Amino acid sequence: MFGASLEHNCIYDPLMREELEQIQEAGLAELASLTSGEDLERWRVAYLGSKGRLKAVMGGMKDVPKAEKPAVGQLVNAVKQALESAFEAKQASGAASSGDRLLLDMTEPGIVESHAIGRQHIITRVRDELVDVFGRMGFDVAHGPELEDDEHNFVNLNIPPEHPAREPIDNFYVDDPMTTERPRMLRTQTSTVQIRTMVDAAKKGWGPPMKIVSPGRVYRPDTVDATHSFMFHQIEGLYIDRGVSMIDLKSTLMQFARAFFSEDAEVRLRPSFFPFTEPSAEFDMMIALKPDEPAKWIELGGCGMVDPSVLEACGIDAEEWTGFAFGFGIERIAMGKYGVPDIRMLYENDLRFLEQI
Amino acid sequence: MDISLRWINKYLSPAGLSADEADQLLTQAGFPIEGITQRPDGDVVLDVEVTSNRGDCLSHIGCAREVAAMRAAGPRRELTMPTVREPTTAGKTRDALRLENHDHRACPLFTAHVVKGCAVGPSPAWLVEALESVGQRSINNVVDVTNFITLEFGNPCHVFDLDKLADNALIIRYANEGETLTTLDGKPRTLKATDLVVADAERATSLAGVIGGQDSEVDASTTDVVFEMATWDPVTIRTAARRLGIRTDAGYRFERGVHPASIKLAARRAVALLCELTGGVCQGEPLSTGDPIPDLLTVNMRPSRAAALLGKSIPVSDLIALLRDLEIQTEQISEDELQCVIPPHRLDLTREIDLIEEIARGLGLDAVRSSDTLAIRPRPLQASERAMREVARVLTGFGFYETVTFSFVSPAEAAVFLPCGKSTVEVDDDRRKAEPTLRPSVIPGLLGCRRSNRDAGNKQPGGMRLFEVAQKFMQTSDHQSIEERSLALVLDVPIAGKKAKDTDLQTGIRQMRGVLDALVRSMFGPAVTIRIVPAEPDSKAWHPRAFARLEAAIGTHPAVTIACFGLLSEDALRAFDLDAPVAAAEIALDALIAPFPPLAVAERLPSYPSIERDLSLVVAESVSWAQIESMVDDLNIDRMAGCSFVGTFRDPKIGSGAKSVTIRLAFRDADRTLRHEEVDPQIERVTAAAQEQLGATIRV
Repeated sequence: MFGASLEHNCIYDPLMREELEQIQEAGLAELASLTSGEDLERWRVAYLGSKGRLKAVMGGMKDVPKAEKPAVGQLVNAVKQALESAFEAKQASGAASSGDRLLLDMTEPGIVESHAIGRQHIITRVRDELVDVFGRMGFDVAHGPELEDDEHNFVNLNIPPEHPAREPIDNFYVDDPMTTERPRMLRTQTSTVQIRTMVDAAKKGWGPPMKIVSPGRVYRPDTVDATHSFMFHQIEGLYIDRGVSMIDLKSTLMQFARAFFSEDAEVRLRPSFFPFTEPSAEFDMMIALKPDEPAKWIELGGCGMVDPSVLEACGIDAEEWTGFAFGFGIERIAMGKYGVPDIRMLYENDLRFLEQI
Repeated sequence: MDISLRWINKYLSPAGLSADEADQLLTQAGFPIEGITQRPDGDVVLDVEVTSNRGDCLSHIGCAREVAAMRAAGPRRELTMPTVREPTTAGKTRDALRLENHDHRACPLFTAHVVKGCAVGPSPAWLVEALESVGQRSINNVVDVTNFITLEFGNPCHVFDLDKLADNALIIRYANEGETLTTLDGKPRTLKATDLVVADAERATSLAGVIGGQDSEVDASTTDVVFEMATWDPVTIRTAARRLGIRTDAGYRFERGVHPASIKLAARRAVALLCELTGGVCQGEPLSTGDPIPDLLTVNMRPSRAAALLGKSIPVSDLIALLRDLEIQTEQISEDELQCVIPPHRLDLTREIDLIEEIARGLGLDAVRSSDTLAIRPRPLQASERAMREVARVLTGFGFYETVTFSFVSPAEAAVFLPCGKSTVEVDDDRRKAEPTLRPSVIPGLLGCRRSNRDAGNKQPGGMRLFEVAQKFMQTSDHQSIEERSLALVLDVPIAGKKAKDTDLQTGIRQMRGVLDALVRSMFGPAVTIRIVPAEPDSKAWHPRAFARLEAAIGTHPAVTIACFGLLSEDALRAFDLDAPVAAAEIALDALIAPFPPLAVAERLPSYPSIERDLSLVVAESVSWAQIESMVDDLNIDRMAGCSFVGTFRDPKIGSGAKSVTIRLAFRDADRTLRHEEVDPQIERVTAAAQEQLGATIRV
């Protein structure tokens, strides 16, 4: 039924004619093999849709000389009709349908209906509580990407190329760090957000002073067990201002512990090393994670005064401004507070578990 | 790092450091004890965590030095270095060995002693015991000395059998591409031109700073040995060790840096022990090659700066005393300046801030006081945070449970959800073999949860509804990362009968639409205009007949695409072993929450009731509700207060390919109650337009 029109021989462009023939042949062959309603619709989109193959050829019509336009147009129409009628025939035959064939109307108004009240994940709820307490202490929340690069995850954090923290064994690299100039990786800490915020503030002039917390997902290729996961959540704080000292750091951690855990919480700092803070410390809190337990010292996270090299790398004058940073894991607190025995339960999302806490 | 209590006490005066005291002092110094093991022979082994900046503490003397520097309630213990007896010497090293160093940057100093006439045999009991206390096996008296010195001073060293070195030469050079070396662990290694080796005149004999070679190994027949102690460029060592997958104590130590000035004493101690234990004779002064040993570094520190950072002013005399305890020679050179000479083992001290940290360590961080009050700048509530709480409130109200799922999926799962024209991002990591792909959509995580909850037999009234907020990842063809914060929703399509019918699917779509409308209104406010744009799916994840974008606009602002939603395709469901249909949505979170908090203005409520009239329009299946709504809207009908959807009805009597859509028109006058007949002309306008524009017939 279409052969005759294809034999038209005053076609402007033999390539166009060939292409149309090809579309028609391939389209019909493909159509014959389809068995499901979804595939049928996909075929329609691919051949007859507004971004389909036929439309693509028709886009070339504007280059056809005026005199030849009618002939070309005729040919296009013939192919279109052939495909359409074959499609309709296939549809009518029911050989490729999924039952009744009414058209789904995506624009019908919504139904407001609920049979239950859902629940936020415990990690989000603990994160929100933390953000609330830090918010009262003047910290804003800052976000940043999880797929980071060498510059933000290492260079600006004062982690030089020879530093062991760059080992592939401790990082999820996307690009090979041996051969790529600025390899991408999943962030291993949310300190990258602090770097981005400091750079942004220095560049645009909105800070310092700045006081932020950055909660979010971090990735470390740890072997998964009851207390370790290759993905977990961290919250890190950063405060940069004139005259910030270690007293402010310790006081902030202490006030946080008292506001979040209990009024009689205590904080202890132990010297440690992080490339991006100096002096650096681990901090422990004397707290009872669960109300019915006696308070004990719990290792919570790391902290320190922001290393002047980090400030300078972000464009902040380290003589004028000083600051502190701290960070700890969110899962750890959630697990302690709610007695979660295995970190994996947090990511399995079994509704029976989600409803418990 | 395992530290034997018996061993460390040899460098402390008075000796008698207990495990508890060591724990307290080393923790105070910044080296927490990870574990304490009691040995059968009465010794105690401490597992000391050494931070990566303090390679000097990967040794017994290093830890003893820290113990001696800390101030505590107990007795003050001094560091006592081991006494080195001068070995008997004869001959000249130069006559026995030739040294060449081709790269002083990679090898700043290489020293070699030759000891001849060694009787290789078992080590004395004290040496065997010392090595075993920290988990090392005794091999022979020559090799044991090198391991002992590494653990004592922290200077890794190596011995070669002199007779096995071609031309009696040691040459520090880069390997020839493809050169082979069988390392001490018996494995053949193929080297690259970036690997630094110590070679003899013919071949590589050890991988510099990492591991020795089997060919030049000392064995029972050895009589003459070359004792080597050197320092290497950390990056060169780390690169080679990493490339070849070799982790040794020597490599670990050199990666953290060894100062050339630390070599002389440790090497003399080693050679003296070698001569003593093997009866060998040292061939005079060592040969050495490399750069001159650099002067000790001088760093100035301002007491005022220390006070500013620590929040506490410390008398200069106390500062000087604290630093001198750490073997840092300190002089006051002006009112606010101390000149500090850094000892060679402290490669980590190069800046003022490093010295301030030493002050903090010396004082103890308990000396930093904390305050009961904080000075803060009050900040406005953060709109983005409040918006997220509101989003969660709406969704939980609709019965959605929040999940937290991993950001990785399998390549097959990713392929289904990947929008055309984009590619996936994969991590290059063996440990994520099956799931190396960063998800291009958050929906797969929810479908995984849907499956596991089904398998666990969990049910929810009205079907399961799940949501998650997470990043999704893609990249462009030129490897530019695309990362977006996404809010994904899935809900079970409610099925009336045994098998899902299209009417059920339509209900599922409308339920999802209801949720999306509520979310958009909560963020944009009641003035928002929502438009649904049916479209062709942008990935294989969506049902080709049920996919649309949702656009939202306020006032004259241009419409913004907020979400795409629809039914999931068979491909998507099959990838998660699900049979029952699922409606899903993926929302661009930042676009959704951007207008929050919405502008809202209260208006007076109407004083008079409205009257309502229903109309059933029989139209072709292809006529959408959006077309009917805009047809009515465009008529600008007098006193009309609203046009709403009542329902769609299908029946054989209506005919195939057609449906009856019932709409409800409301009319109101601001000043009085309307009578029904007053709106007849308006109704006629609607019916006429419906017939004319949509080919509708009116069902009565």
